[in-house]
Amino acid sequence: MKKVLLGLALLLWSASLALAQRTITGKVSDDQGEPLIGATVTSPGTSSGTSTDVNGAFRLEVPDNASALRFTYTGFITKEVPLDATSSYDVVMETDNSTLREIVVVGYGTQQKRAITGNISTVKGDEIASLPAQSFDQLLQGRAAGVNVSIPNGVLNNPPVFRVRGINSINLSSFPLIVIDGVPTFTGDLGNSAANNVLSNLNPNDIESIDILKDASATAIYGSRASAGVVLITTKRGQKGKTRVSYNAWAGWAMATRVPDVLNAEQYVEVKNEAAANANLSGPQFFLDSINGKLIDTKWADYIYRTGFSHNHALSFSGGSDQTTYYLSLGYTEQEGMIVTNSFKRLSGRLNLDHNLTKRIKVGGIIGYSNNNNIGPNSGSLPGQAFSTAGIGRLAFVGSPVVDPYLYDSRGERIPGVAGYNIGSNNQLGRGKNKQQTGFYNPMPLIDLNEQTSEANQVQSSVYGQLEILKGLTIKTQYGLDNIRVENITFWTPIHGDGVGQNGLAANSIIDYKRWNWQNLLNYDFTLSEKHVIGVLAGTEQQRTVTEGWGAQRTAIADPFFTTYQGNFTTIVPTGNFQGENYLLSYFGRLNYEFNRRYYLTFNVRQDEYSAFASGKKKGTFWGASAGWTISEESFWQNALGNTVNFLKIRGSYGTVGNNQGIGDFASQSLYGSGLYGTVPTIVYSQAGNPDLSWETSKKTDIGLVFGLFNDRLQGEYTYFKNVIDGLVQNAPQAPSKGIPGNTIAINIGAMENTGHEFSLSATVLRRGNFSWSSSVNLTLMKNEVTELYENSDIFSATAGLESTNIIRVGESVGSIFAVETQGVNPDNGRRLYVKADSTVVQYNHVVASGQSRWTTLDGTAATAASLIADGKVYGPAIPKWFGGWDNTFTYSNFDLNVQVNYAGGNYIYNGSKAGLRDQRFWNNSTDVLDRWTENNTGGKIPRVVFGDNVSNGSALPISENVEKGDFLRIRNITLGYKLPSRLLERANIASLRIYGNVNNAFLFTGYSGTDPEVSTNGNSNATPGVDRNSVPMAQTFTVGVNLGF
Amino acid sequence: MHKYNKNIVLLIALVAMLVPNACQKDLLDPVPQNSLSDATIFATPDRFVSLINGIYARMKSGQFYGGRYLVYGDVAAEEFLNETGNGVTALQVWNHTLGESANEVNNLWNAVYATINSCNIFIDGADKNRAVLNNDALANQYIAEARFVRALCYHSLLLTYSRPYADGNGSNPGVPLRVQPEIGPTNNNLARSTVAEVYALILDDLNFAEQNLAATNATSGSLNVTRAHKNSAIALKTRVLLAMGRYNDVITEANKLVPAAAPFKAPSGVAHELQANVKNVFSTPYTTTESIFSMPFTTSDLPGVQNGLGSYYNPGPAGVGDYSLNPKGIIGDTLHFPLSDARRQFVLNHTNNKPYLKKFPLGPEHTDYVPVLRYAEVLLNAAEAEARTAGANQRAVDLLNAVRGRSDASVQFTLADFATADDLINTILRERRIELLGEGFRDFDCLRLLQPLPGKANVAAILPSVSEYIWPIPSGELAVNKDCVKNP
Repeated sequence: MKKVLLGLALLLWSASLALAQRTITGKVSDDQGEPLIGATVTSPGTSSGTSTDVNGAFRLEVPDNASALRFTYTGFITKEVPLDATSSYDVVMETDNSTLREIVVVGYGTQQKRAITGNISTVKGDEIASLPAQSFDQLLQGRAAGVNVSIPNGVLNNPPVFRVRGINSINLSSFPLIVIDGVPTFTGDLGNSAANNVLSNLNPNDIESIDILKDASATAIYGSRASAGVVLITTKRGQKGKTRVSYNAWAGWAMATRVPDVLNAEQYVEVKNEAAANANLSGPQFFLDSINGKLIDTKWADYIYRTGFSHNHALSFSGGSDQTTYYLSLGYTEQEGMIVTNSFKRLSGRLNLDHNLTKRIKVGGIIGYSNNNNIGPNSGSLPGQAFSTAGIGRLAFVGSPVVDPYLYDSRGERIPGVAGYNIGSNNQLGRGKNKQQTGFYNPMPLIDLNEQTSEANQVQSSVYGQLEILKGLTIKTQYGLDNIRVENITFWTPIHGDGVGQNGLAANSIIDYKRWNWQNLLNYDFTLSEKHVIGVLAGTEQQRTVTEGWGAQRTAIADPFFTTYQGNFTTIVPTGNFQGENYLLSYFGRLNYEFNRRYYLTFNVRQDEYSAFASGKKKGTFWGASAGWTISEESFWQNALGNTVNFLKIRGSYGTVGNNQGIGDFASQSLYGSGLYGTVPTIVYSQAGNPDLSWETSKKTDIGLVFGLFNDRLQGEYTYFKNVIDGLVQNAPQAPSKGIPGNTIAINIGAMENTGHEFSLSATVLRRGNFSWSSSVNLTLMKNEVTELYENSDIFSATAGLESTNIIRVGESVGSIFAVETQGVNPDNGRRLYVKADSTVVQYNHVVASGQSRWTTLDGTAATAASLIADGKVYGPAIPKWFGGWDNTFTYSNFDLNVQVNYAGGNYIYNGSKAGLRDQRFWNNSTDVLDRWTENNTGGKIPRVVFGDNVSNGSALPISENVEKGDFLRIRNITLGYKLPSRLLERANIASLRIYGNVNNAFLFTGYSGTDPEVSTNGNSNATPGVDRNSVPMAQTFTVGVNLGF
Repeated sequence: MHKYNKNIVLLIALVAMLVPNACQKDLLDPVPQNSLSDATIFATPDRFVSLINGIYARMKSGQFYGGRYLVYGDVAAEEFLNETGNGVTALQVWNHTLGESANEVNNLWNAVYATINSCNIFIDGADKNRAVLNNDALANQYIAEARFVRALCYHSLLLTYSRPYADGNGSNPGVPLRVQPEIGPTNNNLARSTVAEVYALILDDLNFAEQNLAATNATSGSLNVTRAHKNSAIALKTRVLLAMGRYNDVITEANKLVPAAAPFKAPSGVAHELQANVKNVFSTPYTTTESIFSMPFTTSDLPGVQNGLGSYYNPGPAGVGDYSLNPKGIIGDTLHFPLSDARRQFVLNHTNNKPYLKKFPLGPEHTDYVPVLRYAEVLLNAAEAEARTAGANQRAVDLLNAVRGRSDASVQFTLADFATADDLINTILRERRIELLGEGFRDFDCLRLLQPLPGKANVAAILPSVSEYIWPIPSGELAVNKDCVKNP
């Protein structure tokens, strides 16, 4: 590296030989006195230039006639110092608080932030790199206006719910398009019971910036993929100069928070026997028991949650010469979840290379490789798992405390091995001396003997060549590929649990996603008469994706010895088979026009042809236009208000983009599958096609104001947005009596609107001596409304296909919470009171004499049952009406403290877990059941307990009792860091060393009674958001870490 | 460097020039590799057969005749006790707490109508593509198979979602009668036809089937059980007519399968007769001549988790044991169902001291065939019809004795044992409870006679007058089909 620098210096020196020279030396530091390494020092009007060394020192030969020095450094205000007779200059550079001078990544290029007229939020990689997580998307909570990210629960590597300006589709995806270094990548969970978020393959430490495109102007260049927003990830590149080595590491401990309080053994026996008596069962059904004279009082959650230890290491080398810059990184992380056996491992490597072949030709490329390995129990917490009887989230609270997970011999010693599990007949938790079932499965053999793993290998790679034909005119071609292969392995023991039904099961499957993407870009930037700055982009893109899955499931184990697919089993059937392919062919262009740094115009257009749509409906044209006016550049403004409001820009955009994300590759076709009837082959109707199927259209309006006050000490932005989506690809419900497969046909019908306001402010609140406080806050207010549906029929959607708690109805927010109203408990008899659609109040008694009705009106007359469809009511939106974040950084001397807060609310949650926790089957109950109605407690909040009653508390019929508000404020992160003083480090040749401690999910303030108001049992589902059903709670993590730079 | 430079420029220029030509337009029209297009399903004679098998496979859905439909028919009444409290394994059927949005209510309806639409698509398409087969009789035979299945489907729907025929002679609302293929988004709204109208279609289908089905399905014994033939249609007609109370017609149809006097063996078509040991009917290969129609299973084609009969009735490890036999049900009646009866071998006393049904013993992979039509049922249908039309009579007693005596030689009824027709009828009905236990008949036998569904454990009996007597019309249908009315 030194040679390169030397060469550079020589070159500069020889070029200026003709003139008389003088030598200038000096040192550059920041306002804290820390040396700035690699700052560029030039002399304007001359060809002299250098950069500072590790001590911030520089030495520069300048011509005698040089009049000034210019110091530039990313993140600092460029400074010019006039040269006088002295030859030594120590310069202090001021931090640049203005983000307006930054470069922002936009679709297929970059733009100066000041010239942006679309709506883009940027999150710097540094903000999130040191936080404990599996994937970067988990870390975006509260960091950008209009962007709502929530962690569905404490299962490791479970994809977060990621929404840019709300839910933008019903049946297609509302997850934004994720583009990594120009190549759109895959998203979603490709795992089995072990969640495997594809995005976890990207090491968060490799991220330079995350730019979130929100409005039509910014997203239109992505055409038919842009409706749910576009997230551009830029990974780090090398910078010219000395090699920089950085090592970041943390170690952390995760534990479960807000685990439900359930009855202890004595309370359980009391409540359940009372319920049994009320159900006319003869005598007590449950009994206290002991082992070695010690009362059995099993706290199942203690067997299921743990303190998981994690550690993470990221090492990178970057640097380069005039010709070549590079960034090389390695990452390793090993994380244990708060659920026993849940773990995540990733090994990743990346090389980003840029090389100037000649002055005009630049080539470069990226090689990113990652291997991750996920292990998980059936958590019951991933989409579709909520009612799994093996789901460990529920096993943590459903089992009776009066039985132990293990069996003991007469001496009170635990019986070793498999025989020591307390397993009863019928594949249930052993009953002990109780007369009734005491649990679903015993979780211990499932934890010990079952195995579910998901391993991914992903290669993300691209190469590019770029030629500058004229100054400002470049052509670029980039070919990228993104290949991911996932191997999912499941083994279920024949001894207990789900594997019993198959006498042991081993299933292995492979998922292969392969994509190539080829882009060709022509870019021309030029300036006319100094005032007209024009940028033109024209491009083509082709993208082909081939997906395949295959595997097999072996059942009926030959010998309990075997635990892998390769062992011997007596039967085998195929599993996980699929084949798909799609192709996108696009032409696009952009025109940027800027006049006199005051007026800005941008126009984007893109034509896409996509293979999945019907013949004749494949081609679509999308566009976005925006304009901006920087009022503060006008002289009248500068004269009048320039000192206070130093920057003010108004901007607006409108356009129409599309959505094809998540549509099946052959969605428009009518298809017949083939299967078996006994031993012979069949042909069965499998999909009703639609010869008119096309993309969804999203018309986006965005009007905003960007301002800077007091020389940018306070900066802010306000935006109003409206997103009108129509032609929604709706899996239009068909009368089931028609017998259409799945009872749906994909039809472009239906419309929805998202409107809202985004506010963001950032400020240097205080800077006094060694102390500073900077703060940024954002808030989004938004409203979703479904405006049209197929035949305007309501769509009911269910959690895991079983519990309908959400409705899609015209005039309401998509997936609103829907339940039957209850008026609490009848104080006269302890029965749950339900309000029917016609306002009559009915009550329910689970056990009645023959000939009597369980449902009666208050005077005891037989009544028909309350019904969700007929009597249900909309309680409100399941998606937040307001959300945001507040980020504060305090520094004092070498200490830094960051407190990050996020908040959301205005939404409702269906707390289905509460129904389960009050269910009057053998299930254990939450302690609130102690306040049940009895003849001595007629004011009890919980209905009279009747054994077997699965109706009164909402298990069989969703009720308003379990609808709760989801408002919350969370102290998401508290990080305290200390930077070791550089004078201590110099001797060890260390450039910087920071140590820190972090608490993730530090505090939660909410009125929500369940485990966590962010829980999303159904993951990213558009139709069933806001449901909390049998999921594991959230984790809280404590970490300590180090950032080391050489 | 200079030369190098030129080459690169050339290369990039070349690439840029290629771009407009390089797009592969054919990639915009992908053809799925693992599914057939609707345009090609009638392209070959083999595909006709595959489509027919597809219809049977739809009917064999675990939600329907693959398992659950039979379970519902049994656990709704008094013969079984719920053991697991699991809300997804027919608990609400057992409890009589089904609401219109219950999964059982929706899933069964969906599975039956998916089968019906498969039939309708085939009936329509096979007729239009007769030329492919170049054999009109064969085309009609295939269509007859589809119409046989359609009849069975509609009958299953009526027995579940509609008031019995006996209540007002079929004047109550039946179900939406779909007879055209449905492949597009139109026709969502269709009112329920009356029970009588649906029965008219069922009988029309079965008469067509009887005329056009093969007398036997070639040489294979198994095809005579897994695919319909003439006698299958006739046997089903006896059940349908019994449900309608048209006892004379039951006799007319039964006589085509049952000689006037013992030995009882079908005189034409497949030679159906009782097997000496009833256990053989429920044992591999499940293809005796007693089985008129059954649903086949293999380890590669299972009923699905929580669907198989064996999953419900076998305790672990062969099943989940969701239901044990009610000691106060028919198995508790040792007077009429003595311990010497061979059918007692289907009652297993498990280690937890509870009796379980062992009629479908294979597990945990439930490959036992599911019986749909059995010669024993036809004999009992005939016996009951005889008793109801001619009072206590010898033929009815003979038919009863044939079923009874096969499993319990110690009992041979004589005409003198029955003072009245009702005595004989009640004995036949009791014999049905014993013989057809676990085959889904108990609620059918209560409903067609407008008798209460007996209670069990702490679940009260359901009287014919209350709404729980039949299932509600599913919420899924009501939400979309605006012309479909609810059950009262």
